[in-house]
Amino acid sequence: MEIATIKGETRKTGGKHTNKRLRHRGQVPAVIYGHGQEPELVSLSLHDTVLAIEHTAHVISLKIESQERQYLIKDVQFDHLQKDPIHVDLMRVDPNERVQVKVPIELRGTPIGQAHGGNLVHVITELDVECLLLQIPDDIRIRIDHLGLNDALHVKEIELPSNVNILHEPDDIVAVIHPPRGATAAEIEAIHEAAEAAAEPEVIGKGPKEDAEGEGGE
Amino acid sequence: MAANMPKRVKYRKSQKGRIRGNAGRGNTVAFGDFGLQSLEPGRVNARHIEAGRVAATHYMQREGRIYVRIFPHKPISSKPLETRMGKGKGETDHWTALVKPGTMLYEIGGVEENVAKTALLRVAHKMPVKTRFVVRRHSV
Repeated sequence: MEIATIKGETRKTGGKHTNKRLRHRGQVPAVIYGHGQEPELVSLSLHDTVLAIEHTAHVISLKIESQERQYLIKDVQFDHLQKDPIHVDLMRVDPNERVQVKVPIELRGTPIGQAHGGNLVHVITELDVECLLLQIPDDIRIRIDHLGLNDALHVKEIELPSNVNILHEPDDIVAVIHPPRGATAAEIEAIHEAAEAAAEPEVIGKGPKEDAEGEGGE
Repeated sequence: MAANMPKRVKYRKSQKGRIRGNAGRGNTVAFGDFGLQSLEPGRVNARHIEAGRVAATHYMQREGRIYVRIFPHKPISSKPLETRMGKGKGETDHWTALVKPGTMLYEIGGVEENVAKTALLRVAHKMPVKTRFVVRRHSV
């Protein structure tokens, strides 16, 4: 696991106006909490933070002046377009502490079922795992070449190192190959005709007679 | 074209309203791997939504899966042609979805990125709002 280094500064005041000014200066407001200590307000470099998030970093090394410490990224808030981070929550952790994190699942290979016209549906894209801070896997790669039509990959089939615990139910489905949708052109036409026949929705709380009366007038 | 509208409504007509603010929900890629996100506020009506869905399905040749994340809940009324003003509000003409900046319009899963990108570009041409292509981001 690679640990990204992020430059930061301490900040004394919070509030939306101060934070807005920080964001204009290329900084991201952040808070450090945990281990029963008082929360600290800091700001991080936007560029470093975006790079760390893009590389799915869970742990970062925060460098403030000459001090450098490791923290767990607990939460990241994004703007309405989900483009830029607007706030980061960092948590104090010990290297020997067990933490709960989400790890992305990467499916490798082309399933046999897909060659027969099936559709691959990736149900669980991130796995909740519990492990030591410095042993968080970057991603979980699973080969799915063997999956045929209607076959599913379950959580219990995923192999992970012994010190990494999966927090999902063993029977949860990770990915499934759905058979091709077999609706013929005639069936689709029939559905469309039925939908067009119902040109107006039913009004809740009104009987058909009252509804017809309500529509009178020019 | 399928009539895309609610099955039951509480009121047959609604006031015009305004679209204010940005999308605070429905703005992430939640079901598929790639998405088409709105960049401006606007009304996407049932015909736009259906045209976009058909364009994507046609390009993808039934491969992968398309998720339509918006639904036309709002009735838009209009008066018949050559009618004098007054005599009450016109009848419902069409149904529309109100879209804010950030709203995820469509999602695609189970295909390669280049296929999804081309399919969603074709969808984007049908949309009455500016859009952008987005890829699912993993949470921490």
